[in-house]
Amino acid sequence: MADEMKIGAYICNGCGIGDRLDSGQLEMTATRDGKAAVCQQSDFLCSEAGVKMIQDDIDNEGVNHVVIAACSRRAKIEAFSFENVTLSRANLREGVIWVRPDEDDQRETTQEMADDYIRMACAESKYMKVPAASGQQEVNKNILIAGGGVSGMTAAIEASKAGYPCTIVEKTAALGGATAQLYKKIPTKAPYADPQDNGIAEMVATIEADSNITVCLNSTLTKTAGAPGRFEADISTESGSTETKSFGAIVQASGFTPYDANNLTEFSYSKSQDVITQAELEALAIAADGGAIKRPSDGKEVTNVMFIQCAGQRSKKEGHLEHCSGYCCSASIKQAMYFKDQNPDIDTTVLYSDLRTPGAGGENFYRSGQKKGIIFTKGIASEVVHSKNPIVKFKDLILDEEVEDEVDLVVLATGMVANAGEPTREQITIAENEAKEAGNEYTVSVESILNLDYRQGKDMPHMDNGFADSHFICFPYETQRTGMYAAGPTRRPMDIGQSMDDAMGAAMKAIAAAENAGLGKAAHPRVADLSFPTARLEGCTQCKRCTVECPFGAIDEDEKGFPQFNESRCRRCGTCMGACPVRVISFDNYSIDTVGQQLKAVDIPEEFDEKPRILVLACENDAYPALDMAAQNKMDYSAFTRVIPVRCLGSVSLSWITDSMNSGYDGIILMGCPSGDDYQCHFVKGSGTAQERMSKVADTLETLSLEPERVQTYEISITESDKVVKIINDMADTIEQIGMSPFKF
Amino acid sequence: MTDINTGMVEKYRNDFLKEVEANVEEGDWVKMCMQCGVCSGSCPLGSDWDHPPQELFMMIRAGKRDEVLQSTSMWMCTSCYNCIVRCPRELPITHIMHGLAHYATRLGIEPKNQPTRQFAQLFWDNLAKNGRVNELWLGVNLYFMNGFVNGIKVALGMAGIGLGMLKTGRLSLKELVGGHTVKDKKGFQAMIKKAQELEAARIDN
Amino acid sequence: MSDIVATNQTILVVGGGISGMTAALEAAEVGKQVIVIEKTPSVGGRVTKLYKYFPKLCFPTCGLEINQRRMAANKNITVLTMAEVTDLQGEAGNYTATVKISPRYVNSNCTACGACGDAVEAEFDNEHNYNMDKHKGAYLAHDMAMPKRYVLEPGMIGTDDAQKAKDACKFDAIDLDMQEETLELKAGAVIWATGWRPFDAAKIQPYGYDRIDNVITSVEFERLMDPKGPTGGKLVRPSDGKEAKNVAFIQCAGSRDRNYLKHCSRICCMASLKQSTYVSEKFGDDANVSIYYIDIRAIDRFDNFYQKVQDDKNVTFIKSKVANIVENKENGNPTLKGVDTEGYHRYETEHDLVVLAIGMEPSVDKNTFPIEIKVNDEGFIEQDEANGGVFAAGCSSDALDVNRAVQSATASALRAIQVINKVAQAEG
Repeated sequence: MADEMKIGAYICNGCGIGDRLDSGQLEMTATRDGKAAVCQQSDFLCSEAGVKMIQDDIDNEGVNHVVIAACSRRAKIEAFSFENVTLSRANLREGVIWVRPDEDDQRETTQEMADDYIRMACAESKYMKVPAASGQQEVNKNILIAGGGVSGMTAAIEASKAGYPCTIVEKTAALGGATAQLYKKIPTKAPYADPQDNGIAEMVATIEADSNITVCLNSTLTKTAGAPGRFEADISTESGSTETKSFGAIVQASGFTPYDANNLTEFSYSKSQDVITQAELEALAIAADGGAIKRPSDGKEVTNVMFIQCAGQRSKKEGHLEHCSGYCCSASIKQAMYFKDQNPDIDTTVLYSDLRTPGAGGENFYRSGQKKGIIFTKGIASEVVHSKNPIVKFKDLILDEEVEDEVDLVVLATGMVANAGEPTREQITIAENEAKEAGNEYTVSVESILNLDYRQGKDMPHMDNGFADSHFICFPYETQRTGMYAAGPTRRPMDIGQSMDDAMGAAMKAIAAAENAGLGKAAHPRVADLSFPTARLEGCTQCKRCTVECPFGAIDEDEKGFPQFNESRCRRCGTCMGACPVRVISFDNYSIDTVGQQLKAVDIPEEFDEKPRILVLACENDAYPALDMAAQNKMDYSAFTRVIPVRCLGSVSLSWITDSMNSGYDGIILMGCPSGDDYQCHFVKGSGTAQERMSKVADTLETLSLEPERVQTYEISITESDKVVKIINDMADTIEQIGMSPFKF
Repeated sequence: MTDINTGMVEKYRNDFLKEVEANVEEGDWVKMCMQCGVCSGSCPLGSDWDHPPQELFMMIRAGKRDEVLQSTSMWMCTSCYNCIVRCPRELPITHIMHGLAHYATRLGIEPKNQPTRQFAQLFWDNLAKNGRVNELWLGVNLYFMNGFVNGIKVALGMAGIGLGMLKTGRLSLKELVGGHTVKDKKGFQAMIKKAQELEAARIDN
Repeated sequence: MSDIVATNQTILVVGGGISGMTAALEAAEVGKQVIVIEKTPSVGGRVTKLYKYFPKLCFPTCGLEINQRRMAANKNITVLTMAEVTDLQGEAGNYTATVKISPRYVNSNCTACGACGDAVEAEFDNEHNYNMDKHKGAYLAHDMAMPKRYVLEPGMIGTDDAQKAKDACKFDAIDLDMQEETLELKAGAVIWATGWRPFDAAKIQPYGYDRIDNVITSVEFERLMDPKGPTGGKLVRPSDGKEAKNVAFIQCAGSRDRNYLKHCSRICCMASLKQSTYVSEKFGDDANVSIYYIDIRAIDRFDNFYQKVQDDKNVTFIKSKVANIVENKENGNPTLKGVDTEGYHRYETEHDLVVLAIGMEPSVDKNTFPIEIKVNDEGFIEQDEANGGVFAAGCSSDALDVNRAVQSATASALRAIQVINKVAQAEG
């Protein structure tokens, strides 16, 4: 911004602010301490007139840094949204008057609180710039789809329908993936009564007729570089030729590998030809093509078949899959129908422990199976004895007895193992260390899917059970790699119908990522944020902490070890900023200074005033709303509190902690989201990383001869208003006990 | 074992579910059971059953032919219809229970000394004779069901009630001889005979 | 309201729950114009009434905060609350929707300062807490309600209280003369995301929901745990406020049952497993949970959660559809009767509290859609070409959990965009 900085501060007197606070005093603070060039008051700032007053100052008075001293930054967002200016909010309503009792003897400390928030907002404003995209990017509408199974094909067909050219990279010689190997599929339409055509031929024909879709068969991705909006992918064929194409975003639809039934020695899979997997039964059904299905050993027409559900699944046994693959119950019903539809006299038994056919379609299909005479037995198979006819030993849980059943054919419902590629570099290191401790060697046994040239690893991180990373509930497509979206069974176990729906969703996200990257806008959760991190490389010590700690693998290193930021991979959480020991990383509107100057702007009373200061650095996603809601419910907390919202606890720089200790704060509370496996941090690892950093703060405090209780880190969920209030008040009590900080001037 | 029983065993090659589907009233519903057990829990006489309905259905699927058909369980059904009303899968359980009992009887392998079975037989024989229930004879036959001596004992025990009923005209001694019949007794008997023939033919198929 | 711009390139999203919000956001964030029609006074839908999500046991409001922030920041989205689509005409690329907007009696001046709420006396059933308590006649549905604007109960209009509310407002935000309005909106595509409602538990007569105080539904149980719920977060039972330590969960309450809902509602098993952790969380080793089930449908990665609950020795699983419930008049305990079908064991068990894992039925009755649309027997919208430019998202398409609903909603956004882009191309 070429123009000179001009701060305009606007103080609202509505919602009781005017009654409780001395607005003249606030105005003086804004102009004298905050150096606001313009300061106006309003009884109703968010009204049309109030907003117009501000806009007029922007238009006519050259105000380019707006400070709103009114309600929380979470309130009246639509009203207080101005173009091309910076915006800071001093939270006088939820942050001051609503958390303090309306009593005469409290007036002074309440006013001090408000004055400080005005100083803080002005200080922040001073160091903020209006963020603008780097302009490095342009929109690249091409979508790369890794995998040509039903998920990948759906993503391509649907994205293309919306006008986005797609390239499918398929490892094998044909499109269709696992679905193409199916005789029929589980029905996806009402009345959900019979197996349905697998639909692959139709999809392949659609793709072939669509000039917007390029198909690379017998091909793999040998290198994927770049970032959303400018991915460069090396597509290599089996014969060795490589073509490099650029893409805006990626859908990873790499599917699954059937669980290796050879692990199931108890079921004689490797001994008996007549013990087969569901996948193998599909091949028999295709061979029979509507005629009698013959068993592998002697070609005898099957008259009696047993399906064993959950074979090697839902089990904590070594080598088994812990998860349920979700589709196998319906798949066995479908396969039993292959027999029943051909000859109703064939005995088909499904041995299950929980029959899992959810939804409307699922339950209808189950009923249809029963109607066709499939027998469902609740039981657990212990063994399949290999003999001329396999003998299944199981416990019938309803009749409470051990049973042996001689059948022609046994079908094992084994589950899905995700094709999610390599673990991350971090995950590999952990596994290597674990193996070393156990005296073994660890080698990565899976092929990479994406072959990313990211320093963090070749593929997306895996979550539990080896599936590609996903936040899983509210934002199921969000991964730790921007612009890449997993679809189908590589993301979580699912059947064909669900995979197709899922692939459409992933295509939608890829389109959004490509479009927004082109405009320099952030992806989830700070959607449309134009700010991005930059580093003063002359100050950088190449310590690599930023690259290591970035939860999204957004930062590469050049040969010399300097960080290379990839704007469009970045989610703008600021974890890199928090990681940097030399404070060279910043965003236009969020930096070491925008927070550091706020905490310095707070007026620290002398020790003998008995007015301690408690700094709260609160995650803006959960802890800050929790504080707001405490205020909404008129819960009181200490008047000595000064709260600064941060993008993520991961962005908290240790320098803020040491600076505030040095400037005489008596206590510091950090509030982040719950971390760990069931993390709630919107930046995945930010809050966990912060906690790790803070665990080392105790040493620093000791060198300053300060009590460790003065700095506390907490995990806060958004609903925990009671807890945040208690934490703050406890800190106030603690300070009363251990005394004021000796570092006051 | 009766001939018809042996015949059935051979005909269905031990596939008891198919046998039930073909021969038991509403038997083709058995396979629709999902073993929730609400029928078993809802039966007012449930605690007196060796095998409640849902378990019987599972036994049928598991091929436990003798255990099912010789069971006393389905004879316990009082047709209260609680199970039918509550069954989430619409199974006409009451009818299936009676169907099973009836089928076992036809095969001649029903539990002979089960009192409800005995009463049911008496009731049928009584009714089939004249097309009307002869209450006096039904009572007498019921009393003497377990032998003459026992019958006298029971009859003496019930004498008070019997006399009371006679006095109030709810029981008539005239019924001892002949008793009242439907208008066209011959026609009625012919009808029953024909129905039985049809049923037998159906089973033989 | 008359300044709403809607064209053939507008996407109309019917329903502002998690699915509608997601669909709207995904479309708007690639630059499409979206109008969200929400029946209640605030967006968020059913998930705002959940205490925690399975399987992470995190709070729904956490994701809601992000989504609401995304919505507030996005100028492509217009949200109409207290609005209902009463008619829909046209075909893909050219729809006209008639939208009825009920009076809120509070205009956009409202700052949510709460003065009106403090001023009024009258109390009304609190729908947010499934009517288990009352709220004031001037209220915010919940702490995070968006738009953050108060609402006046229609029942209060014309009373002194209404005038008191108006007098208390310093911002001229209360307009007692507000009238119902009807709008006609153009749209190129429609995303139908009207979600679900809990099945009416009183219809399951053997369970005595309408007769026995201590038989409640799973959605009500969820509110008990919430600090903002009717018990302030205490797990106590309705009849006498006694702590509910011995809790029975009855699965398939209304689901998988031809008498009620034929389909499996998918979420109820996971909901009960989740709720069993609430009891353990509150009472530790004093907790005693029984789960009566037909099949535990903890599908895919959810099974790990099931295994965790199975490891809790205070939780027992009984394979049984409970036959009936009677109340022990002396202590108010519901007594469950039935048969454990694993080996035939008859039981008659008393519990402090019984929670019916209530089924999910589509919010819109299948014969009342404003436009001809392919609906299956269960009342869910089928994905079908015959539906033209109307696409189902979330639980209007099937019984779905949150992550699947969001997945479905994201897909529906792309379907709508395909139509819009075609219109845009044709219109040049």
